[in-house]
Amino acid sequence: MKQIAITAYKCKKCGRIHYPFHDRCLACKGREFEEMKPQGNARLLTFTTIYNLPWGFDQRYLVIGVAEFENGVKAMGQIKADAADQLRTGMTMKASWEPVRVQYGEDVYGLKFEPI
Amino acid sequence: MRDVAIIGAGMIPFGRRDEDTLMEMLAYASLKALDDAGLGDGTVDAVYLGNMGGGIIQHQTSIASSLVDRLSLLPAAAETVENGPASGGSALKNGLLAVASGYYDVVLVVGGEKMREVTGWRATDFVATMTHPQAEYPYGITLPGMAGMFTRLYMEKYGVTREMLVAVALKNQEMGALNPYAHVEMALSREGIFESPHAVVNNPTVADPLHLYDACPVSDGAAAVVLCPLEMAKKFGKVPVLIAGFGQATDTHTLQERDDPTDLKAVSLAAQQALDRAKLKPADIHVAELHDAFTILEIAESEHVGFFKKGEGGKAAEAGKTRLGGQIPINVSGGLKARGHPVGATGVAQAVEIVFQLRHELPKNRQVKNAETGLTINFGGFGNNVTCFVLRRVQP
Repeated sequence: MKQIAITAYKCKKCGRIHYPFHDRCLACKGREFEEMKPQGNARLLTFTTIYNLPWGFDQRYLVIGVAEFENGVKAMGQIKADAADQLRTGMTMKASWEPVRVQYGEDVYGLKFEPI
Repeated sequence: MRDVAIIGAGMIPFGRRDEDTLMEMLAYASLKALDDAGLGDGTVDAVYLGNMGGGIIQHQTSIASSLVDRLSLLPAAAETVENGPASGGSALKNGLLAVASGYYDVVLVVGGEKMREVTGWRATDFVATMTHPQAEYPYGITLPGMAGMFTRLYMEKYGVTREMLVAVALKNQEMGALNPYAHVEMALSREGIFESPHAVVNNPTVADPLHLYDACPVSDGAAAVVLCPLEMAKKFGKVPVLIAGFGQATDTHTLQERDDPTDLKAVSLAAQQALDRAKLKPADIHVAELHDAFTILEIAESEHVGFFKKGEGGKAAEAGKTRLGGQIPINVSGGLKARGHPVGATGVAQAVEIVFQLRHELPKNRQVKNAETGLTINFGGFGNNVTCFVLRRVQP
């Protein structure tokens, strides 16, 4: 299985965790960060099933959500579920790094969550 | 700083306008506003044009330069202002500051968008380009998707129900049916969109828990206003409408980085700034145009502006407090829900509607009686760049 290729940034001054990257800390404007990787499982914060997809997605629907990893990193990802009624906020998800779309004939990798 | 008045307002009917180019729509709306002001062949010092997608959809840039040429406004200063779906509000802000500073006297502000030129698939992708290019966009997130995730959180935290969302949809479609400028001039029945066999067909899920009639349509359209210093306004024919207050605030690009994603901080801050400038309180506002790209946003914004306490906006909508004749009439135009949402036009169209309201020009079934003050919220991104205007009728 591929490693999750997301880097989050912890402010060295105040400890706030950022993802995506900011040049200055959102809380204290600090400019030095410690790089960190998402760790462990993730807790589902919110989700939806999108039925009107944008150009580039040749499928009927897409389940998508935001989850928080055990070390505090929060990120959006696609969810492996047939429908949103199989999901509830707060449930534990396993994360993986897989193709999330195809662009110019090549796979683009990203986060996928799957209920445990 | 000088007081600034709106002396002319005009727009073209929103909808699917296959017969017009973007430039034609911008020109028609501009001429309507200039004629409404009674400016004749008088000088326009500057033009601010709100547009989000000309470069992407029409493959046309520098459109403000084209517009002044087409309208024979040369050598007026001109630029295009892009701020996502708040491009119209930002164009109006630039016009306000230009006149208030004393740099220019007569300014034309126009907003326009032509979105139906491409398929829904492409239009959805175009709007999604405002999401974060690495952390959001690659996943296929759309603005309805963002709104769906926000709605779920809002429902869980504040007990908003689908019935409350339906109340907003029904109200705005009912008012849109009375507005000749609206994209969707069609009232709906509750049975047609909620808890019936018809509703399953008519009102499918677009991004749960949101359904088709929770979302605004994809529209073409343009709207324009003319500004000048208040002291000059009496030279023109129409009742001047003072821009009594303006506010703008930003928030994090991604929803996940907000301490509380249900807290639309940029809306609260923008509204607070605009109301403070105008020396008014939310209860002093007689009519409001809120950015109901999704029904949940009308409810959430009505709370964040301060019309209702947090968690009370949905109940207020259900109880009819936001209808014409209610405590605070919201989106009497039909809102984005029914008037439509040509993204760059919306912020200007909201101001046009409030100008018509404050000049007491609308038919009885749409006019807020004796309206003296109005407020607009133009919501960019998913609440990451928001403008607010407070307008006030100047007694003739």
